[in-house]
Amino acid sequence: MAESVNRKQLNRRMIIVFVVLAVLMVGSITLYIFSRTYFNAWRLNIPMTPLAFERIMGRTIPAVVGMVSASVIIALVSLSFQTITQSRILTPSMIGFDSVFIGTQTLLVFAFGTFTPFFQSPIYNFFVTSGAMVAISLLMFGSILRRSKNNIIFLLMFGLVLSGIVSNGARYIQALMSHYDFYQVQAATAVTVMNMNTDVIRVAVPIIIIVVVLLLINHRTYDVMSLGAEQATSLGVNYQRQMTYTLILVSIGMSVSTAMIGSLTFLGLLVVNAARELIKTHRHLPLFICSAAVGIITLVLGSAAEQLLSGGIPIPFIGTTLQVAIPLTTIINLVGCTYVFYLILKENRI
Amino acid sequence: MIEVKNISQSYVKGGHVKTLDDVSLTVREKTVTALVGANGAGKSTLLGAMSNVVQTMSGQVLLDGVDVRKIKTSEVAKKIAFLKQIQQISIRITVNDLVEFGRFPHCGGRLKDIDKQKVNEALDYMMIGDLRDRFLDQLSGGQRQRAFIAMILAQDTPYIFLDEPLNNLDIKYSVEMMKIVKKLVTELDKTIVVVLHDINFASAYAGHIVAMKDGKILSEGYPDKMITKEVLNPTFDHDFHIIDHDGKRVCLFFDHNQ
Ligand SMILES: Nc1ncnc2c1ncn2[C@@H]1O[C@H](COP(=O)(O)OP(=O)(O)O)[C@@H](O)[C@H]1O
Ligand SMILES: [Mg+2]
Repeated sequence: MAESVNRKQLNRRMIIVFVVLAVLMVGSITLYIFSRTYFNAWRLNIPMTPLAFERIMGRTIPAVVGMVSASVIIALVSLSFQTITQSRILTPSMIGFDSVFIGTQTLLVFAFGTFTPFFQSPIYNFFVTSGAMVAISLLMFGSILRRSKNNIIFLLMFGLVLSGIVSNGARYIQALMSHYDFYQVQAATAVTVMNMNTDVIRVAVPIIIIVVVLLLINHRTYDVMSLGAEQATSLGVNYQRQMTYTLILVSIGMSVSTAMIGSLTFLGLLVVNAARELIKTHRHLPLFICSAAVGIITLVLGSAAEQLLSGGIPIPFIGTTLQVAIPLTTIINLVGCTYVFYLILKENRI
Repeated sequence: MIEVKNISQSYVKGGHVKTLDDVSLTVREKTVTALVGANGAGKSTLLGAMSNVVQTMSGQVLLDGVDVRKIKTSEVAKKIAFLKQIQQISIRITVNDLVEFGRFPHCGGRLKDIDKQKVNEALDYMMIGDLRDRFLDQLSGGQRQRAFIAMILAQDTPYIFLDEPLNNLDIKYSVEMMKIVKKLVTELDKTIVVVLHDINFASAYAGHIVAMKDGKILSEGYPDKMITKEVLNPTFDHDFHIIDHDGKRVCLFFDHNQ
């Protein structure tokens, strides 16, 4: 029968996709390590001794761990958020986690000064800022999604207004600060993939692992929830409770990853939709795994490329080098933005 | 046994417009009960409340004497299956996967042999075994509707509540669907409440008819008692013409003499 061949083809396609993704994942991590060790040594014309290698690896491994765990958590929370909001376009990062992050850091310095342990100690700072982000996002999601079930437009507007207020407020407070405090805040909030907050990895990763497990074990419930609130309820899912549970996990996951590697507004949207296109299934377990893998490849490969290109591209015969410095985050956001436009135009809804 | 006790529901602040106004009802066991009434009468809301899908402001629904809100959602789902009025789902899935969802209350999504057997039985009962690997968007309206009913059957509950299952079905499929609904009662001892738009289907296939208007139950009873001008005219605000045909009553919506 034509249809069952169809289904077998899809299954075979899924296996092929996973094998290719696994290879790409190992390849990009290898390339990243190479770019930070042998490639850098070659470019700077210094020998790569085992001791130097070990030292560089001591910094490279945490960076890889940070990128991998951030990609996984962003992919998982984005997919589960899309399922509970019944949207393919909305992701939790679109409601301005970065501005809440900057706002909290600014307030901390303004209220207690840069020498407070809350600001100086990376661990304290991490718990305070992610705690604040969890609280704010829960308040937001909770009040909006509870009252008017899936009012996505309202959620977006609320996020827009909130991040506007918070970032303007933060800018105002920053203007009142001393130069020293201002630069401290700037340094603390400039976390990106390339400038990761490696101090917090040791605390962030265990939290991320817990959140990942708590989302993964519910994959079958999310499958049912994609039928819609009413049908899922009549199939025995306590929708309200599951929604609250998911929102708590989403808030924690987003806050921790933002504090660790900064905000990657469109990464979640990109990887979740890429996974949907790649494996064409409604099942959350393969979708979770696939989107996490795509996320890891995007971040690690992008960082490797950024590293490899950081010295410029030598142009043969002319003898000069072409300077390229396009931050990875910018590229992801550019592609992500375009993709959002495409999705909105295609689906004609938010 | 399912008893509805004094439920009220309002979506308007202050509650002066009531979608359900102090409704009480005892569902007849092993019968097809037809819920009829004009648009906006509150049929869907009542059916949703009976399935614990709509949370009402006051009153309670008792399942075997226990308030459904005090029972775990997954336990309610083993007793009551509910198909909502319009089945629009955002995901692209096959008939087989849809029907397997019906087993979720029993196996949490991990299908064992017994679950697979129930899925096969449901597909066979609805005569769509050969469509199991098709995607829903590759089906006709009638086939889709049967796929959804198959999911409800796989859920294997004594109570089945269907909200306008004849929606979008042409006459042939509607008759087929109502025959299946009736068979579920006679062959499988199910208790069924079905919202119907066409009173003649209610007259022909239901054992009990409940007429609703403005959030209240106007009257209920056997079809002979219900398919009368006295009952139907106020329910629908319309002048009906009723004739007898082979012992069943048939409603005419318009009068040729006028
Ligand atoms: N979720 C809801 N929010 C607001 N109003 C609703 C909601 N559900 C139903 N209503 C209103 O309640 C009334 C009855 O609706 P419904 O139960 O769907 O009627 P029926 O199924 O008999 O056509 C309608 O006026 C409808 O607008
Ligand atoms: Mg209705």
